[in-house]
Amino acid sequence: MKAKKSSAHYNRQDAIFKSILISASLLVVGLFVALFLMLISGSMPSILGNGFGFLTGTTWDPGKGIYGALPAILTTIATSLLAVALAIPIALGIAIFFTEYAPEKAKFSLTLFIDLLAAIPSVIFGIWGLWVIAPLIKTYVQQPIVASIGFIPIFGGPAYGISLSLASLILAMMVVPIIASLTIEIISRTPVSLKEGMISLGATKWETVKHVSLPFARLGILAAVMLGLGRALGETMAITMIIGNSYMWPFANPSIFAPATSITSKIASEFYEATSAIYVGSLIELSLILLVITLVTNALFRYVIKKTNRGARRQ
Amino acid sequence: MTNDSVKLDILKLDAWFGDKQALKGISLRIKPKTVTAVIGPSGCGKSTFIRCINRMHELTPGNKVAGTILLDGADIYNDMDSMDVRRKVGMVFQKPNPFPNMSIADNVVAGLKLIDAADKKELEEMAKENLKAVGLWKEVENDLKKSGASLSGGQQQRLCIARALAMRPEIILMDEPTSALDPASTAKIEELVKALKTETTVIIITHNVQQAARISDMTAFFYLGELIEYDETRSIFESPKSPLTERYITGRFG
Ligand SMILES: Nc1ncnc2c1ncn2[C@@H]1O[C@H](COP(=O)(O)OP(=O)(O)OP(=O)(O)O)[C@@H](O)[C@H]1O
Ligand SMILES: [Mg+2]
Repeated sequence: MKAKKSSAHYNRQDAIFKSILISASLLVVGLFVALFLMLISGSMPSILGNGFGFLTGTTWDPGKGIYGALPAILTTIATSLLAVALAIPIALGIAIFFTEYAPEKAKFSLTLFIDLLAAIPSVIFGIWGLWVIAPLIKTYVQQPIVASIGFIPIFGGPAYGISLSLASLILAMMVVPIIASLTIEIISRTPVSLKEGMISLGATKWETVKHVSLPFARLGILAAVMLGLGRALGETMAITMIIGNSYMWPFANPSIFAPATSITSKIASEFYEATSAIYVGSLIELSLILLVITLVTNALFRYVIKKTNRGARRQ
Repeated sequence: MTNDSVKLDILKLDAWFGDKQALKGISLRIKPKTVTAVIGPSGCGKSTFIRCINRMHELTPGNKVAGTILLDGADIYNDMDSMDVRRKVGMVFQKPNPFPNMSIADNVVAGLKLIDAADKKELEEMAKENLKAVGLWKEVENDLKKSGASLSGGQQQRLCIARALAMRPEIILMDEPTSALDPASTAKIEELVKALKTETTVIIITHNVQQAARISDMTAFFYLGELIEYDETRSIFESPKSPLTERYITGRFG
């Protein structure tokens, strides 16, 4: 009798608890749907007014009522991809050094620095990029490259310092700790038995990394890269400060040393100026596009993770 | 002091994990083309012992080795490079560990690929030859491109033996190679071990004293990091000198 009563009691408690959990989850879903719908409705003046031309237009001139988003979309994609391309070798180098070569004592401080790097507010990266790195890379990287292979349009002059390439470089520094810390995690999960199998054949440390650890971590590293890419796509503050905010790239000037405007920097720098409904709508539509790009990246990331897990279970 | 009838001369070998001494003054001589079984209760230092012979023990920071090991008269700790030692002294592990990212054929020649730039045809030949040597060729002939992890446990272990054999090692160390396998696979590997000694010298750890009796010429009994008795397998099993050995082989022991 007593047992029955208490089990009913627990059932009721369970039911209450469950409904709390369900409402919390529904809240998240609801928030996302609401956000999405609000972005769509906010974009309506632009979707109706600019039409499909918004996606293909290359001019942005609110004075004349012309809104073309293509340069911003391309800049966002290009800076993020370039940033990730720069970050991958550095992050892999850090991860391999950390897992295979670093003495235990060095590991502690290395972890600390990776975490610190990840925690630096992006406005600090922006300031540093603007005042320290921009003049440096202008003189020591951009100008020599322009002088030597500047005849290739994407490396053409003049060197501005603040530019698409500076933005990519700073983004790369922000992305390195993300990719590196995940890659460390993944590489250190390589089964010791596999590594010893390779070492017992007379392999050097590097050969063991190359033939065992990296192939083992392959998909996980790809997932880490996707995560880094997501971070790069959405970064706003630092980019707005160092990208130059000019609509030159890529149509007026295809050089990676030219200033450019990304989706995020466009929105951040113009939102307060936007007065007309179509101007505001155009900026909101830009954010909608960014959201879609981010969602696609995230879906890719999830797909890769799923494949990784399946692969790991098979072993 | 090169002696043709001594493949491996181990003198006063000590080994530590940090401060913990796992081997104490082990001395023994192993003749070429023999099978030596290493037996003893769990934790007595069998794995540590063979991992000193291919210089795997020193891989963990803090581990130490003292004493001398001569392979064909050459001091493996002073006259040879650790990578060189491991190419001459192959190893088969307790749990089969084929490389899952490599095909069956690539698994066999994984070690060879590290040393010489043999062409594809040669490598295929080497893969075939060594798969035949472990009796796996017929079973995998049509699946050479499949992952090494796609095989059964027993097949995987034979693949790992083929991988070690492909290096043409002077010595093959085996750490309980059949403890994770079914009886049929175990029987195949035991046959293989007996056949191997026409080419190479085998040192095999086993928890199964009957297995030691079936396949080995010599047996070494370890207890608490010391070598208690080392003799011809027949003498060890018929007339052990130490009461400890006797208790162990008659199963009256942990
Ligand atoms: N990584 C380690 N750190 C510290 N001590 C260790 C380590 N590995 C083994 N030992 C100790 O060294 C001793 C010998 O271990 P070893 O693995 O060589 O024994 P074993 O005879 O192979 O045992 P088993 O039959 O269980 O495989 C044991 O007392 C063990 O506790
Ligand atoms: Mg052991």
